[in-house]
Amino acid sequence: MRVEQHPDNQIDRSKLITFIFNNKIYKGFEGDTLASALLANDVTLLTRSFKYGRKRGLMAAGVEEPNALISLEFGGRYTPNLKATEILLYDGLCAKSATSPNGLDLRAFIKPLHRFMPAGFYYKTFIKQKVWAKVENSIRALSGFSESPTEEDVDVYEHIHHHAEVLIIGAGVAGISAAMEVLNNSENERVILVDERPRLGGEIISELCSDNSAKEWLKSSVADLNVFRKEHSDRFTVLCNSTAYAWHDQNFVEVLETITTAQSLADRKIQTPRKINHKVRVKEVILATGAHERPMLFEANDLSNIMLSQSVRRYLNEFGVISGNNPIIYGNNDTIYQTAKDLITNDISCMVIDVRPDGANNPFAEELKNSGIKIFQGYAVVKAHGSNRVKSVDIAPAIYKNSDWEVGNEIESLNCDLLASSGGFNPVVHLNCHSGSKTYFNEDSQSFLTGDLPSNRQVCGAVDGTSDWQDAIVDGRNKAKLTLQSLGINKNPKIEKLSENHNNPYRVSPFFTPTSIINRPKVFLDLQNDVTTTDVAISIREGYRSIEHIKRYTAMGFGTDQGKTGNINGIAVAAKLLGKPMSEVGTTTFRPAYSGVDFGALAGRENGAYFDPQRFTTIHDSHVANGAEFEVVGQWYRPWYYPKSGEDIHQAVHRECLAARTSLGMMDASTLGKIDVQGPDAREFLSRVYTNAWMKLAPGSCRYGLMCDEKGMIADDGVSSCINDNHFIMTTTTGGAASVYSALEMWLQTEWSDLDVHLNSITDQFSTVAIVGPSARQLMKVLCQDVEFDREKFKFMQWRQGTVCGVDARIMRISFSGELAYEINVEANYGRYIWDQVQALGKRWNITPYGTESMHVLRAEKGFIIVGQDTDGSMTPMDVNMSWILAKDKPFSYVGRRSFTIEALVKDDRLQLVGLLTKDAAVVIPEGSHIVDDKRSSIGYVTSSYFSPILRRSIALAQLQNGLNKLGDTVIVKIVQKRQGLKEIPCDVSSSVFYDPNGEKVDGNE
Amino acid sequence: MFLLYCPYCNEEREQNEFSAAGEAFIARPKNPEAISDKDWADYVFYRTNHKGDHWEQWVHANGCRKYFIVKRSTISHEILQVEPFGTEISEQES
Repeated sequence: MRVEQHPDNQIDRSKLITFIFNNKIYKGFEGDTLASALLANDVTLLTRSFKYGRKRGLMAAGVEEPNALISLEFGGRYTPNLKATEILLYDGLCAKSATSPNGLDLRAFIKPLHRFMPAGFYYKTFIKQKVWAKVENSIRALSGFSESPTEEDVDVYEHIHHHAEVLIIGAGVAGISAAMEVLNNSENERVILVDERPRLGGEIISELCSDNSAKEWLKSSVADLNVFRKEHSDRFTVLCNSTAYAWHDQNFVEVLETITTAQSLADRKIQTPRKINHKVRVKEVILATGAHERPMLFEANDLSNIMLSQSVRRYLNEFGVISGNNPIIYGNNDTIYQTAKDLITNDISCMVIDVRPDGANNPFAEELKNSGIKIFQGYAVVKAHGSNRVKSVDIAPAIYKNSDWEVGNEIESLNCDLLASSGGFNPVVHLNCHSGSKTYFNEDSQSFLTGDLPSNRQVCGAVDGTSDWQDAIVDGRNKAKLTLQSLGINKNPKIEKLSENHNNPYRVSPFFTPTSIINRPKVFLDLQNDVTTTDVAISIREGYRSIEHIKRYTAMGFGTDQGKTGNINGIAVAAKLLGKPMSEVGTTTFRPAYSGVDFGALAGRENGAYFDPQRFTTIHDSHVANGAEFEVVGQWYRPWYYPKSGEDIHQAVHRECLAARTSLGMMDASTLGKIDVQGPDAREFLSRVYTNAWMKLAPGSCRYGLMCDEKGMIADDGVSSCINDNHFIMTTTTGGAASVYSALEMWLQTEWSDLDVHLNSITDQFSTVAIVGPSARQLMKVLCQDVEFDREKFKFMQWRQGTVCGVDARIMRISFSGELAYEINVEANYGRYIWDQVQALGKRWNITPYGTESMHVLRAEKGFIIVGQDTDGSMTPMDVNMSWILAKDKPFSYVGRRSFTIEALVKDDRLQLVGLLTKDAAVVIPEGSHIVDDKRSSIGYVTSSYFSPILRRSIALAQLQNGLNKLGDTVIVKIVQKRQGLKEIPCDVSSSVFYDPNGEKVDGNE
Repeated sequence: MFLLYCPYCNEEREQNEFSAAGEAFIARPKNPEAISDKDWADYVFYRTNHKGDHWEQWVHANGCRKYFIVKRSTISHEILQVEPFGTEISEQES
């Protein structure tokens, strides 16, 4: 419910906002969060818990909230698992619980069973008993929170890069103080200030301070910053609604800004990004991230309306909301008296339970007593009662003896409808730890602080253990001076003294973890993952000692919560049970992201068409006009096949293959990698990187080359042409172009810098049209008059310079199909012109464009390998029956040669490339199928498999153990068929050359 | 995602312009046929996987395409030294 308006409230009660939650209409005010508006409407049950299905309400008011996970909006704007405490209310907002507390959620049925489900329950019950496969689906249906989105995200996201000198994370008192100091004492340094809340000021905004000095300091400081921002927008940037969620090496920080915070959907412009991922690189970082309150531990501490004390204050002071009439404040430090005082200011009576016997030394305590507030000192809450919402608590005397807490037996019951608890403060050290800083346990403040900071990083305010606002101002100023010193601006920083008890102004007592509390059931540590003190006890009993292992066994600190409220209490419980000090147990590793980050924000604009570069040859438009289907090969869009109307892929490929074999086909081969190799040592270089000989290749000739890596495995292949003694053009596979080029550069730069050779990638500079088929020579004579094409004048594996349809061209007579073929290379921009000319002038021979699928069939018929398909990085030239290409007498030990003789590469059970002919010629084996022996073990697999139109039967290439000695044998290929189960296909092992084994077709027709 | 200084471009650039190219100072044996299988395997396969300051090769793959050597802490990822390829390094502690 709302209390009466207080001047410090941050909501505007004149502006009513309508919103929908779990299909019901509610009203809130401008400035509300979804959480505060729900509390104002007395909606206190928001979700069901993760494992036990317990109904839960709000525990906190900010990013540390573990329970209130909701799904926002629907359709293309649906966002799962957001925290209600972080969503600013806007008109028409539509949200629902991630797991509904009402209705027939399956988890409701689990609730009564939960005492049978301790840590390790699922593993011990199902996986160990080997029934996991049967129950997995039903158990997984119970897990998780919001459902996954089903529609494409309609919002846009943006990335912005920043380069600055100083980044200040957190705009509370310490951060603002540091920002002022840096800005006022530097001239040109660029400063960025970020904060996750909508306004500058941090916690102070939600405090009603006894004297007004804190608020006045804040008001004037923020005004100063705003003036500075206006006058020096070039060097001072403020980002609100912005969470720094990851800190990488070299002070590279990622900040997620929400742009459309309080805008209704109708008001959002289509191109306004919903979120921006800021990538911030700075020289210096000042961390002022504050601290999160942690709760006290007692039985049934997860009931609704058991909240953090500071959060109760925040709801009350910032939003004018309180969720009970009869609150009890419970804790182990002085801030509970502040909460009590704020309640009284709002005319709400309450009781205070202070676990410390001497807690009354607080200046507020006497004042409270005088106004009739009952204060129990030296008492602890041991149990809360209530069906879903807290109704009463049991308290008992608490005694601190021998560095340990004990609880007495005399129980007293107190009625309440709201319990606010404070168990101390956890500095938000997460970001600092992302980039390697370690934490240490500080006994004074009973918290983990960061130590060993690098010189370009400062920590100030509550995250540094300095939580009093006046000390935080001084701390911020001090750390800013050190930052300026590190930047070389302030040579002799004058460090101001902090007050004596600056590390523990609220006198937090040691962790309240008496054994009698730990052993109780339902003492929740991590509310998001339903981890209790007994779960930690079980994990320790079962032998886990490291806090990292305890975390993984119990799931404590998992999920979107990342243990913000629960982890440190969990560590305290583990420390108690292990009999070790907190410092020795330590924390688990903090990793990015600090809080949830939208996938859309990570992707930014690199989405859809911009996800990956698309490469098109200059001939692409002609392929489209020819009706090509495309496949993507190394980012290239290559024609796959050219279906005529009514044709499927098999019919089209059949027609294309027969055309190339019987009359004329044409193909766009522009995507093959092309590397220009120039220099006096070009020949020597090729000899070193290819396995065969290059010293005698004459200008005007071409040669096929096989390239291995130093392990002796086939890395790439292609044809290189000798232009002149100092100039070669190498081709590589389409997919291997970049890696081959980079490997060649590595050899030249790092090993053979004495070779005078220069490389250049010219893949994009030339277009290549291949003319393939027995009639190719006739067509070439029509296309080009200044080259002699007669068989004896222009032999296979030669190239000629000529003019094709008026365009300078290099014509290579090489073949990847076994047929007579010419590849016309022209400057790239003439590619489409040449293609169209060839297609028009080739009509006489019914020239047929074909794509990569037919290319694959044609080459497989000839047994030509495709590196990467028939080889996989573990194949030597010997394995693919290509020993003929290994030069024996090259003086230089070419790349890979030495490896050919090592033991593993000469064993006779290696996989070797063979052909497979199915006994039933119509059966095409699926690629990847395994060849099995009589014990049904794999002895190889099929790498390429097609139906050959010219041979009218299926053909396959396969890697078979000792295959080259098994030619003529019959082997069994096992395949899995839908609904029919396993099927055995008998095959004959054959040569891998199926068509024209003597190479008679390569000269074509006269 | 650190920044790396390219000694050829003389500029500090984003890491995604560069590719790591393995440990530095692994020279190809002058006469591979003359050495044992074990020594050859040492050259091809074995690396120190050093914890601490480590010399490694980087290439400005999306820039000038030059290879150079970098001394980097494998613990903190701090870049301690960057040199053009072929620079004589006296303290080859890697």
